[in-house]
Amino acid sequence: MPALLRALLLLLTSHVRQWPLRTLLTIVGVALGVSASVAVRTANVDVLRSFEQAVMTVAGPTTLEVSGSETGLDEQVITRVRTIDGVAAASPVILQTAVHMRGEQADQAVQVVGLDLLAEFNTRGFRMSQPATESQLMGMIQPEAVFLGAKLATEWNLSVDDQVDLLIGTRRLTCRVAGILQNESDRTSSWERMAVMDIAAAQISFEMIGKVDRIDIVTDEKKAVEEVAQNLRTVLPSYMTVERPANRTKQVEQMVRAFRLNLTVLSWVGLLVGMFLIYNTMAFAVAQRRREIGIYRAIGMTQSRVAVLFLMEAGFFGLLGGIVGTAAGVTLAQELVTLLSRTISDLYAPVGAGEGGLAWAAQFWSIMLEGILIGCVVSMIGAIGPSLDASRTTTVRALSPGDYEASRQLRVGMLAVMGLSLLVVTGFLSLPGPIRGVPISGYTATLSLLAGLACLAPICVTGLPRRRQYVGRDGGVRGVMRGIAVEHASRSPGRNGVTISALMVGLAIMIGVLVMVRSFRHTVELWVTDTVLADLVVAPSMWLRGTEIGSIGRSLPPLWLNVLSSIPEVAAVDSYRDVRIEVNGQRVAVVSRDLQLHAQWSRYLVRKGESSEQLRRAAEIRGLLVSEVLADRLGVEEGSTLEILTPSGPTRFPIVAVFYDYSTDGGKLLMDRALYQSLWHDDLVTVFPVYLNDGASIDRVRERITHQLSDAVGGGLPPLVISNTELRKEILEIFDRTFLLTYVLEAIAVVIAMLGIVNTLVTSVLERRREFATLRAIGGSAEQIRQLVLWEAAYLGVIGIALGLVGGGLLSLLLIKVINKQSFGWTIQMIVPIGALVQAVMLAGIATLVAGYFPARWAARQPVVEGLRDE
Amino acid sequence: MVEALRDVSLEIKPGEFCAFVGSSGCGKSTLLNLVAGLDLPTSGEIVLDGRSTHNLTSYEWTKIRRETIGIVFQAFHLVHGLTAEENIALPLMLRGENGREIAQRAEEMLDRVGMSHRRRHRPAELSGGEQQRIAIARALVHGPRLLLADEPTGNIDSHQGAAIMALIRELAISGRQTVLLVTHSAQAAQTADYVWTMRDGRLVSRTEHMTELVTP
Repeated sequence: MPALLRALLLLLTSHVRQWPLRTLLTIVGVALGVSASVAVRTANVDVLRSFEQAVMTVAGPTTLEVSGSETGLDEQVITRVRTIDGVAAASPVILQTAVHMRGEQADQAVQVVGLDLLAEFNTRGFRMSQPATESQLMGMIQPEAVFLGAKLATEWNLSVDDQVDLLIGTRRLTCRVAGILQNESDRTSSWERMAVMDIAAAQISFEMIGKVDRIDIVTDEKKAVEEVAQNLRTVLPSYMTVERPANRTKQVEQMVRAFRLNLTVLSWVGLLVGMFLIYNTMAFAVAQRRREIGIYRAIGMTQSRVAVLFLMEAGFFGLLGGIVGTAAGVTLAQELVTLLSRTISDLYAPVGAGEGGLAWAAQFWSIMLEGILIGCVVSMIGAIGPSLDASRTTTVRALSPGDYEASRQLRVGMLAVMGLSLLVVTGFLSLPGPIRGVPISGYTATLSLLAGLACLAPICVTGLPRRRQYVGRDGGVRGVMRGIAVEHASRSPGRNGVTISALMVGLAIMIGVLVMVRSFRHTVELWVTDTVLADLVVAPSMWLRGTEIGSIGRSLPPLWLNVLSSIPEVAAVDSYRDVRIEVNGQRVAVVSRDLQLHAQWSRYLVRKGESSEQLRRAAEIRGLLVSEVLADRLGVEEGSTLEILTPSGPTRFPIVAVFYDYSTDGGKLLMDRALYQSLWHDDLVTVFPVYLNDGASIDRVRERITHQLSDAVGGGLPPLVISNTELRKEILEIFDRTFLLTYVLEAIAVVIAMLGIVNTLVTSVLERRREFATLRAIGGSAEQIRQLVLWEAAYLGVIGIALGLVGGGLLSLLLIKVINKQSFGWTIQMIVPIGALVQAVMLAGIATLVAGYFPARWAARQPVVEGLRDE
Repeated sequence: MVEALRDVSLEIKPGEFCAFVGSSGCGKSTLLNLVAGLDLPTSGEIVLDGRSTHNLTSYEWTKIRRETIGIVFQAFHLVHGLTAEENIALPLMLRGENGREIAQRAEEMLDRVGMSHRRRHRPAELSGGEQQRIAIARALVHGPRLLLADEPTGNIDSHQGAAIMALIRELAISGRQTVLLVTHSAQAAQTADYVWTMRDGRLVSRTEHMTELVTP
């Protein structure tokens, strides 16, 4: 090891030994920041990777896929596809979801893949445990035959020839386990958790006679895949898409991009606050060792090596914090994967939960390396300022008694000017639009806002103290204690400014996100109250779970309309259909319903005009209502037209109205059911909104509906009959679940800020040992010393909280008006949740005092004699 | 463990002015710290005003310091953030006395140490001698019966040192305080009624007059 490195390591270890508590606090702070970042990143990657793996596993050797809308394709298309130049093989695929039944209880949703088993026996990456004798081959294609993935069979405790009950839509189907799917390789595969049926059996089971969900194509190796795709596009109807299997992963990635990005940015807040903590620790180390630095310089250490010494120390904190943080982050990620996949499934597209460490089991070391790198880089960035300060130490001044803080007083004013300038810059940065859908300037404005307020923190520390005359006042002991605390705090604007900044950032983010989430929730509540007016909703059993692939499991038979309408207390029944299509390359929800009926019984929150009038007009002129998000994204508005590729060919629709919608950020189109049926030839229904006569008992009607429909499902699970109140509650629960992760990340940032306060106060106590000892010697009690430190904590806390409130208010504006609007397109009505804000402030206040309590107790216990001796 | 004091046994009567001299590390300051209750003896007993201090709690020692003891330090140990007047008033504030009483006593002490004109100044704005005057005023503001002075002239020049010792002597006599002075300075020790010489943690000799003192 080079001599220089050895010397640096020697100095580093001696410092760590000297201040073990501060070292520990700093490492824990860095570790928390790294853990949040690693956890979110790992969970994000894992969720999408498991989706990608499922897609690619089922795809097997497929090079191109042909699909239509969610309603499926006519199977005759396959004949045409096979005739196209460059197509080596084309096979039909059905991809739907069934629910495993345990007795009368719905257990677990499972993806069912319908394949032409006779043709594709060994092409998709799985083997069947059953030997393929002729009779068994015949057995494979029987309508009730199902092959189960090995893991599913184990979990459900089933083996070959056992019976398994599956719920398909509303029907219960008793199947026979015809075989167990085994992986062809030793690697974990998505087949282990899937069920496979022969295509014909699947068509019967899912009532898709004559239809398939997809056609998988293996192209001729001699032809370029894109060329074959082009050939297909010219022949096939325009509403059908021809794409590579990997494109589906990309589509999902694209859909969840804004969501993931916002989550990732939020996870960086912990790192940002951790950076303040490192700055603080290193600034203290430099101040504490000023004389020592003078000695190093006097005996020949160069300026750059002094800087390297402190950077290395920060790097060491980063290294340990990175290791601990990564380990904690990977553990946290296991919890996040479930939460995240549920949220993505709720909001965007069905993705399975990560299958027990798909990403991190294989990539543990690369994740660890990344975590360590993040820890080191963040720590070293945080330490740049103090390290440069150390390197610029004037040897003579360092070796003689002197106060470096005094020379910094000049910079406080400059910093304040810089802070105000940054706030002005924040205003300008909030004006530009997004860049390729990403609110780059919005994020920059957030950084600028936080940096601006951080620059104002030192002047708040020095500028706020007002000299009071304590002598001559009654009860002056508290006043003088407060005065000493404030005066002392104001003597270190640099260090205390950083601590306040850390608290400010944590609190500002907490308040900003809190106001945004509460405002958003309030907006959604208003939207739900104004638009969800049906008394009851009849829905498939797995509706709102959001985990199903394929539309069959999320559909109801149209004939139920007559059953429901025949119930005497029912005044009206709507048929609501919701399918996904592509418009201009974007996945969009097409909602169709009886618009005339809806105009009479319910409404949409339209941007212009009156709801019922617009709904009736749309029904009359075969027009569309477009959600605000989609209108902004497609650049259309009331009065313009929109072309959509329907199964009946490209059709141009007039846009009658734009409405506010918060159910998806992918966008929604609304049209009359008759128009939809004429173009999509789909008569299934997703849910039936039911309106009751005045005075009808909801519970009684619900019972009657359940009773009448139980007969219709033929032993299957009866549909859900949800009351208006339950539906609203469910929607808000999905909303709250979506933001659960946000709160976890905020909490981590606040905890790191609290560590900053502990760190600062411990530093303060160390610096003031002599002052405390003097006070004890002239008659101050241990309790009074404790109070003194707590006053200092309170002083820092008050400034941090005040700045945090200002920052939080401005940040909430940025989040609502800029970042959220540009990321997701939603208009949110801003509210100020006073109660929640008071709670947040109280929480920060209590946390500050708790953080101050331990250093205060420690200060009170310091030996007086040693303190008096301390130079 | 280092044995700082050994076989130290002495009695100091009310109103006496006693000095301790000796080389660095001989135990002078330790003795003072023990008397002030800032440090606790591993064995032996300290009796203040006829009352044993054995087994006193930390808070009881605090009360004794508030009521009975005033301390002057070599490095002054003034609180940086407070003015001269506030530093003087601090012990009374810590006792929770009423505002008017505090103001009167602080005013009186400022007068007695000749620092009324510097009452609003902070320690950093005062010379070493001025800071020590404020420290003396602070040590005496609550009227302690025992004044402990640990090298009070150690951080100031000899001219100011003489003035400080004269001030201590004058105030102690007028206030009938018992004074324990620890010093290296023969000149300072001359102010005392008698001088104990210490060596290696022991009391070696007692000298009634400074002229008889042999500098160690």
